[in-house]
Amino acid sequence: MKALFCELRGALVSTAILAVVTCGIYPVAVWGVGQVAFKDKANGSLITDANGTLRGSSLLGQGFSSDKYFVPRPSSAGTGYDAAGSSGSNLGPTSKKLVNGTVKPTAIASEKPGEPLQPGPEVVEFDGLKLRILSYCEQNGLPYQLLRAGQPVDPKLFKDAQGAYDPVKLINAFNDEVSLTVRAGVPIPADAVTGSASGLDPHISPANARIQAARVAKVRGLAVENVQACVVENTDQPSLRIFGEPGVNVLRLNLALDALR
Amino acid sequence: MHTSELVQLCLFIGLLALLTKPLGIYLTQVLDANGKTLLDGLIRPVENLTYSLMGVDRDKEQDWQGYTLAMLLFSLVGVIFTYLILRLQHLLPLNPQALPGLSAHLAFNTAVSFATNTNWQSYAGESTLSYFSQMVGLTVHNFTSAGTGIAIAAALVRGIARASANTLGNFWVDVVRVTYYVLLPLSFVFAIFLLSQGVVQNFKPYDTASLVESFQSQVPKIDEKGDPILDANRRGLLEVKTISEQSIVQGPIASQVAIKMVGTNGGGFVNTNAAHPFENPTPLSNFLQMLSIFAIGSALTYYLGRATGNQAHGWSVWSAMMLLFLAGVLLCWWAEARGNPTHQLLGIAPGDGNMEGKEVRFGIFNSSLFATITTAASCGAVNAMHDSFTALGGMVPLFMMQLGEVVIGGVGAGLYGMLVFVVLAVFIAGLMVGRTPEYLGKKIQAYDVKMAMLSLLVLCMSILGFTAWAVASQWGLAGLNNNGPHGFSEILYAFTSCTANNGSAFAGLTANPSDGDSHYNATLGVAMLIGRFLMIIPIMGLAGSLVKKKIAPPSPGTFPVQGPTFTILLIGIVLLVGALNFLPALALGPVVEHFLNLQGLLF
Repeated sequence: MKALFCELRGALVSTAILAVVTCGIYPVAVWGVGQVAFKDKANGSLITDANGTLRGSSLLGQGFSSDKYFVPRPSSAGTGYDAAGSSGSNLGPTSKKLVNGTVKPTAIASEKPGEPLQPGPEVVEFDGLKLRILSYCEQNGLPYQLLRAGQPVDPKLFKDAQGAYDPVKLINAFNDEVSLTVRAGVPIPADAVTGSASGLDPHISPANARIQAARVAKVRGLAVENVQACVVENTDQPSLRIFGEPGVNVLRLNLALDALR
Repeated sequence: MHTSELVQLCLFIGLLALLTKPLGIYLTQVLDANGKTLLDGLIRPVENLTYSLMGVDRDKEQDWQGYTLAMLLFSLVGVIFTYLILRLQHLLPLNPQALPGLSAHLAFNTAVSFATNTNWQSYAGESTLSYFSQMVGLTVHNFTSAGTGIAIAAALVRGIARASANTLGNFWVDVVRVTYYVLLPLSFVFAIFLLSQGVVQNFKPYDTASLVESFQSQVPKIDEKGDPILDANRRGLLEVKTISEQSIVQGPIASQVAIKMVGTNGGGFVNTNAAHPFENPTPLSNFLQMLSIFAIGSALTYYLGRATGNQAHGWSVWSAMMLLFLAGVLLCWWAEARGNPTHQLLGIAPGDGNMEGKEVRFGIFNSSLFATITTAASCGAVNAMHDSFTALGGMVPLFMMQLGEVVIGGVGAGLYGMLVFVVLAVFIAGLMVGRTPEYLGKKIQAYDVKMAMLSLLVLCMSILGFTAWAVASQWGLAGLNNNGPHGFSEILYAFTSCTANNGSAFAGLTANPSDGDSHYNATLGVAMLIGRFLMIIPIMGLAGSLVKKKIAPPSPGTFPVQGPTFTILLIGIVLLVGALNFLPALALGPVVEHFLNLQGLLF
């Protein structure tokens, strides 16, 4: 019994001492070195504009969708590129959801307060590879086909009056008809249509950037060579030329393009 | 498979081999209670002060029961300490996001998870835990659970090396010395390097950036209490919200990432762990993180050789580990580079491989390598989402854990796990030639083999037993993110990872469903306890038995425990005894999924 008590003292005291050393002194020492020697990096490699407004971090991706910007990878972090809610899709190789996407039903508030909610329109819950490939081809002017059992289908069936695709209709059709699919006419860079692990990947592959450069140049009225030069400037090469893969930093690139004018 | 990737693989294994000897010699000095080290001048006074406060006599050694008791009490106190911090985090300092305390079952799961060096994350770090909880509640275990693992390994090695003795060393001295002389200095240097790559270390609240291009999103409408508004069919009321800000996580990340790698803990500061750019910003930080996961485990094999006076034995064990590791890396890399045929039919470039759940800066190769390392070594940090790997690519991490975490393994845990297989290997070799089995001059008898087998059977029972229970239960199926065989793999992976004290996940599985069901947190917590302590206790029993035995001089009939024959035998035993039990389960999960994937079936 005395031995037990003796060991218990060891356990309590050692936990207390080690907590002070490893959880107090150690992190504070690292913090001190960081704030002195790597001040910018230790605080998140933050990017501020000329007015001093914080625009993001050069290490973290941000969502872009319009034609004048390079578009990053799809993201599962929160509502998209939520840098306080990192997440991947965690969908597996045989996931129907990953390929076809899903929609979710919604509710709308009834007109009189206090009455139950009414069924609302369906909205996209997860877009899926087929829709992403289709959108990527549309946006960048790449050839693709909508196929049913191998035969081309008229895309108008899935478009609204303005000529834009109805994503909910498409996703429902993909899920209802096994044979309805999309086939891109050129190889699509995998990173363009797949989600990253963190949902915050700051990079796209150089191949993906090359495809998008033509579109961005056209919309902005710039020469493709100028946009390409910008891409090269904002490409992070493999560390020490050996480790890892090259990646184009989308946020830095888009900010550089905005600064061109 | 490109040349540059092969160069990276060769560099990794080459540098690891170069590190093994110097770090092994240093470990030998640290694990000798009176050993002299480079850092004596700096650390010795603190070390002595620690002992006197604890009331520990540096020279008083413990027998196996005493050593085990100390270890159990130390772990128990640690679990309670962390449990209380997590429950009370809203009352404690350093909580700039004003996060609430954790539920009882989540706090239990998390406390056990870190005390057992598993670091399974049932929570999403950035949205659940305060800086204080992370820095104190969790980081203390990153050091102590790693120290405990190394201490147990040292005790077993002493049991093998000493003859006609009774004691195995002093647990408190081992833990304190390992923490002060090995883990702290290595982590500190590594943390500084990580800072230079862009890992953050601060105590400020999360930053808010104005997005360059704002976007609209349909988000659930929330009532005054903060709950989503639902109708009778659980359809949510949505509102269109313009999102023009990005909230950026901050915190003391570098210090925690350094020890989570060096100590093979693997618990990330943020939800997506080493895939998050703030934890692992560059391919170089990634490479050194991989190296640091293996460093101590690899060096411990050198310590084994040193301590037993048979360096070739140490290297033979190392070679067996590296061959198993290499086979795993090559299979995983091949499967991921080959990609997903279903996706490629849609037009995704076949040469790009399976990029779902991977970061561009790491690519296919460094993601596959990391996945194999982190599961071979009981680390559990991830730089890619294993759930989204191809069927065979995802089977490699699963299989590495089912081998019993002996391919380098967790710090200490890998060595004591492998030594169990060594004992079984000499036993089986002895049976084959009809001689009394001997290991380094010590007779291996019924009691020793029983203890060795017990520690293995416990793992098997926990993994398969809990998986069977979960797949047959409503609560088990409710947590799934994937259907079909991949759903089964998610459950199998969870219980494998927790029992093997790894901590990586097929992270689609939700252990915290919205209805608050606590089955997963509870069962996974118990699996972690079983995998840690019900394995350690028989191993300490084995150490206690071996230390008493006499050493007989080698004779011409002695089975050599060095050289290629022994290495191959050891690999065979690991595969046959360790992994055969799991083949039926693997056939139901990843193997069948692979063939269904080739057929283009979806679930």
